[in-house]
Amino acid sequence: MSGYLKLAVKNLLRHSTRSALTMLGIAASVGVLFSVLSFNRGFNEGLAQELERTGLHFMVVPSGCAHEVASLVLHGAVIPKFLDISVMQNLEETSGIAMATPILVAQVPNPGKERIDLIYGLDMQAISSIKPNWQIEGNIPKEENEILLGHEIAEHEGLKPGDVFMETSDGTQLIVAGIVGLTGSQDDAFVYLPIGTAQLLLDQPDAATAIGVKVKDPERMSEITDTLTAAVPGIQIVTMSQVMNSISNLAASARALSLAIVLIAVLISAVGVMNSILMSVFERSQEIGMMRAVGASRRDIFRIILEETTILSLAGGLFGIFIATLASKLIEAFVRAVMPFVPSGSLISFDPLLAIGSIFFIMAIGLCVGLYPACKASKINPVEAIKG
Amino acid sequence: MIELRRIEKTYRRGAEDVRALRGIDLTIDKKELIAITGPSGAGKTTLLHILGCLDQPTNGEIFIDGVEVTNLPEAELVKLRRDKIGFVFQQFYLIPGLSVFDNIALPLLFSKKPANPDRIAKLADMVGLKHRLDHVPSQLSGGEMQRTAIARGLVNAPEILLADEPTGNLDSENSEMIFEILRSLSNEGLTVAMITHNPDLAIRAKRAVHIKDGLVHSER
Ligand SMILES: Nc1ncnc2c1ncn2[C@@H]1O[C@H](COP(=O)(O)OP(=O)(O)OP(=O)(O)O)[C@@H](O)[C@H]1O
Ligand SMILES: [Mg+2]
Repeated sequence: MSGYLKLAVKNLLRHSTRSALTMLGIAASVGVLFSVLSFNRGFNEGLAQELERTGLHFMVVPSGCAHEVASLVLHGAVIPKFLDISVMQNLEETSGIAMATPILVAQVPNPGKERIDLIYGLDMQAISSIKPNWQIEGNIPKEENEILLGHEIAEHEGLKPGDVFMETSDGTQLIVAGIVGLTGSQDDAFVYLPIGTAQLLLDQPDAATAIGVKVKDPERMSEITDTLTAAVPGIQIVTMSQVMNSISNLAASARALSLAIVLIAVLISAVGVMNSILMSVFERSQEIGMMRAVGASRRDIFRIILEETTILSLAGGLFGIFIATLASKLIEAFVRAVMPFVPSGSLISFDPLLAIGSIFFIMAIGLCVGLYPACKASKINPVEAIKG
Repeated sequence: MIELRRIEKTYRRGAEDVRALRGIDLTIDKKELIAITGPSGAGKTTLLHILGCLDQPTNGEIFIDGVEVTNLPEAELVKLRRDKIGFVFQQFYLIPGLSVFDNIALPLLFSKKPANPDRIAKLADMVGLKHRLDHVPSQLSGGEMQRTAIARGLVNAPEILLADEPTGNLDSENSEMIFEILRSLSNEGLTVAMITHNPDLAIRAKRAVHIKDGLVHSER
């Protein structure tokens, strides 16, 4: 170990509690900074992936409420308005459409259990297009009285494939055909029925909250959406890229806010470093005077103090990234709980470049805040310091 | 050889001037052991710091080996302190976390020289600390701390060792040991200037300079 480094380390160890606390302050802020930045990356990647896997190009919804639509598209949300059946017919008559699949999302009172079920009616054949990353235990329903259960609700009710979920007012038994594996999203709380059954249950024949559309030629999409908007009143068309944009805009503003807070935390911890180093400079002024007497130049003193701040910030940065990596699962769970839409899959990916970048950033900050105490230390008058 | 000519040092304390040194003429030859004595506030420490190029006089001239060093730029003074001067203080000022070895080697860090373990061990041996090289200051007695500080003052092979009350914090037995080390150093060719309040030690030095009110009051 170089002499300067050793001296700096020993000096930090002299007040090990103080140094450790200062280091922890840096670790916390760097850890959060790193998490926010990695989360950001993972989030956008996950979002793009998820939308890509959805075979749909746009959604037709009742006009209004674009944000709710955004979340509906991927993970159900209840929209109180229904689309008219004529829309479906209109779509079928429009040329260039490969597939149009209705989706019905609603809350239905379950009189037997005294609670409200969230139901999601869809064309079971389109399930692989609408929900591409589901892992289904059991089968995809083939009969009108077969249903799928979200993981959470299945667990809560203790139901397995083959069990009876409920009996409708006309006496039909709804049988569980399959259970959707844990997605960690709102999907887990839904009951998925064939659309016809859902419409019956709601007593709303031919109703849909949205229609997912796949076009034959994506290049012609704007042409098709224009024709549709002109031909059918009271509808709104939300394309997947709009959905993606509105979700990532939401995420971007959340990220900007959290980044601003994190940067303030970084600054506060940097001030903590400055304070801690400044204190140790004042406490050691006699020692610094001695070093000047035995041949240290002002630059030597400057360097020793600056090295101390660098070590503190480096150690804090490394520790922070270590902790953030360990805690990424926890952070992910938290984000899933507070964000309206979160893509499935891992949100936080460890990116070594980002880690190195964060460490360089905190070291640069450490260097900046180290300048002042280092300057103070180098200006200590040895004669006065030694006199005590 | 250090030569001081009409050295004055005036401090400003608020509105009044404190004349710590009022015209000191002093020549220190090679291989001398000088005891500097005098009452508190006489200006002994101020004189020592000027001798060691740590402080600059308000008036007067200093020559080291015939070269005038008054008003040299700070960088030159650092070099002089590094190469020609060793300092020892009453309060030792060892660095707590560092071993005796590293404390002795500290000035080498600033003179950018490698710490040769044999040389450090030899210095430690000279002050009777050969078996304490791995110890940290908190494990040492006051006398051992001061002996470590003397070895540190010698590590850059200076021409003169300046000691400000080196025995001031020690009992008589340890004071005796420190004095003997300084005396044998001067016998081996080192110039040593030592401020002391201990008349028994001052008497045994080859030369004694008594300072009073910022002037050389008497000399022996
Ligand atoms: N930085 C300063 N500012 C103002 N006055 C000072 C300063 N340093 C020293 N003095 C004054 O200069 C005078 C000489 O001080 P010095 O420390 O040289 O005395 P000394 O002989 O070493 O005393 P002691 O035996 O107590 O150590 C004293 O009156 C002291 O108060
Ligand atoms: Mg003094």
